[in-house]
Amino acid sequence: MASVHDQMAAAGKVKRSKDLPQGVERLKEEHRKVVKDCRSQIEHWKKVENDYESLQERLRTLPDKLSYDIMVPFGPLAFMPGKLVHTNELTVLLGDNWFAKCSAKQADALVEHRKKHVKNTLDDLQKVMKNFQNRADFTDDLEKLTGDTGDFVDIREEVINEEEVTKGKHRLAHKANSKPKQVYLLELEEDKEKKEGDDERTTGVLSEEELWARLDELERQEELQDERYRYTRLDSTDTNGEDTTSSSEEEKEADGGSDVQVNGHQKENGWLPTSITSQMNGTNGSHPEDEEEEDCDEEAGNGLPTIYFSHTAEFKKVRINTGKNTTLKFSERNEQKAQAKRKKKSGKSNGHSPHESYKITSPADIYRVFVDLVNGEPIPRKSILKSRSRENSMCSDTSESSTADFEERRAAFGRSWSHDDATHSDTSDGITEEESPTGTSPRTNGRFEAFTGTVIEKDPLPCSIPHLTIAPPALPTIPERKLEEVGPEAPQEPPKRMSKFKATQLHQK
Amino acid sequence: MAEAIHKKLQSELEKYQQMQKDVSKSMSSRQKLEAQLTENNIVKEELALLDSQNTVYKLIGPVLVKQDLDEAKATVSKRLEYINGEIQRYESLLKEMERKSEQHREVLSSLQQEYQRAQGQAVGKV
Repeated sequence: MASVHDQMAAAGKVKRSKDLPQGVERLKEEHRKVVKDCRSQIEHWKKVENDYESLQERLRTLPDKLSYDIMVPFGPLAFMPGKLVHTNELTVLLGDNWFAKCSAKQADALVEHRKKHVKNTLDDLQKVMKNFQNRADFTDDLEKLTGDTGDFVDIREEVINEEEVTKGKHRLAHKANSKPKQVYLLELEEDKEKKEGDDERTTGVLSEEELWARLDELERQEELQDERYRYTRLDSTDTNGEDTTSSSEEEKEADGGSDVQVNGHQKENGWLPTSITSQMNGTNGSHPEDEEEEDCDEEAGNGLPTIYFSHTAEFKKVRINTGKNTTLKFSERNEQKAQAKRKKKSGKSNGHSPHESYKITSPADIYRVFVDLVNGEPIPRKSILKSRSRENSMCSDTSESSTADFEERRAAFGRSWSHDDATHSDTSDGITEEESPTGTSPRTNGRFEAFTGTVIEKDPLPCSIPHLTIAPPALPTIPERKLEEVGPEAPQEPPKRMSKFKATQLHQK
Repeated sequence: MAEAIHKKLQSELEKYQQMQKDVSKSMSSRQKLEAQLTENNIVKEELALLDSQNTVYKLIGPVLVKQDLDEAKATVSKRLEYINGEIQRYESLLKEMERKSEQHREVLSSLQQEYQRAQGQAVGKV
């Protein structure tokens, strides 16, 4: 009995997987049928209208003569010559077996009235047809969406062992009315399936001052958020930015080593990075690293291109392969630190939206635009970087380069930089870190970063479109890049991170 | 045991099919009424366009019978009301039938499940 049930269940499952395309096919069939029906009906009514038109013509000419010589139909097969008389007297069928005798002109009016009805019917049919056409198109889109060819990506993480990831209590969403002394808990909404493992955050209690400072930070973040909305199109970037900002702030605050949590700013936008960034545990350098999410591999299974996450202890970068071959990368720590720095410095946050690289509005842009490609990563030329001044321009073209590059540069910059502008660059977290302490140049950036990740697009887009920065040189395809980057980045991460952290601390002091 | 269930299933299925036929019949008659409704509306409007000088005829069988314009108008209005009433009646009838067929469907599905279970048991026993 049990076996039968199992079989049936299995069969049912198999059937279900086949059902979807079948169902879609069927739906499309039905749509097409309706549309065809509508078309034929429209044809019919158009014919009727034409008939009425010609009838009207006849009615107008009929009373011209008193009588006409015609061939009168005589049965189904014969005609007879005859005369048409009383040309102005017509018996009109009104419908439902009602007749009326009227003149040609009155008949004309009646016909006109009927034509109105026909037109109404025609209009309705047209509307219905259009409606169903739209529906059919929508199902097409839906099919594409669920199929492999869509632009949408499904992100999953399969949690094998839930316990190992947990480092502390679960976070709850930050409530606006919570008292300062309450423990901040963050709760991450789950769009994705099987994301439980990602949700851990460590909770901690912040001191009162820290909490107040944190509240201020959050306010500022919200403002930034609004600005970012204007400047960015990517939801994910927003979230990333916010997350990193918050986390960076936490980091800043929790200097002593207490854990901080990301605030409830988290916008759930379905991007895995969001959740990942929020995982940041403040000060503890090693902690976040361990928790960092990792490695998304694109898998084109289940219809949707799927990104599978798995936790690794290596580095905190997340590369996501979207359907459009864009890679979103960011290093949370970098961003956090950058943000922390920036916040400390100027109270501004990196609301800088990563703008197109091609727009050169300041000397810095030139440097930004002309970058070298090393190992497939756009690296700004060393000399340029050194004197990189990021006044009002946006920063971060560097965001285009991989975070690995950033780290390298960071190390270099930490020593040699004297920057005025703290960058708003999203990804140039490391850079901004170094920059901010050194410079206090007035930053009047109209642009703010929308996110703190690197977006590398396969095809450089025209700069007129404000969007994520694009490295001018053509980048290798994302999968290649990923492969490239995953390798080099992983080993680089651990050593660099420590150094960066230290550098930050040094700066802070 | 399986046999008995099978028989029951069959009878229920037939009943359900009968119900479905009735439903579809009422549906079609209702549609016819709808068509008549629109037609009579048009006639009413066109009668309004005429004046008493024109003679109005009604076709009764093979005969065209002269009618008075006002009488014709009244007759048409009455017919319209009648049709509306019929439509209402059919509506309620249709709803009722739908409900019943729904019940039947449920009975059928449960019977089917029973039957399958019985089948499974029979297979298991074998």
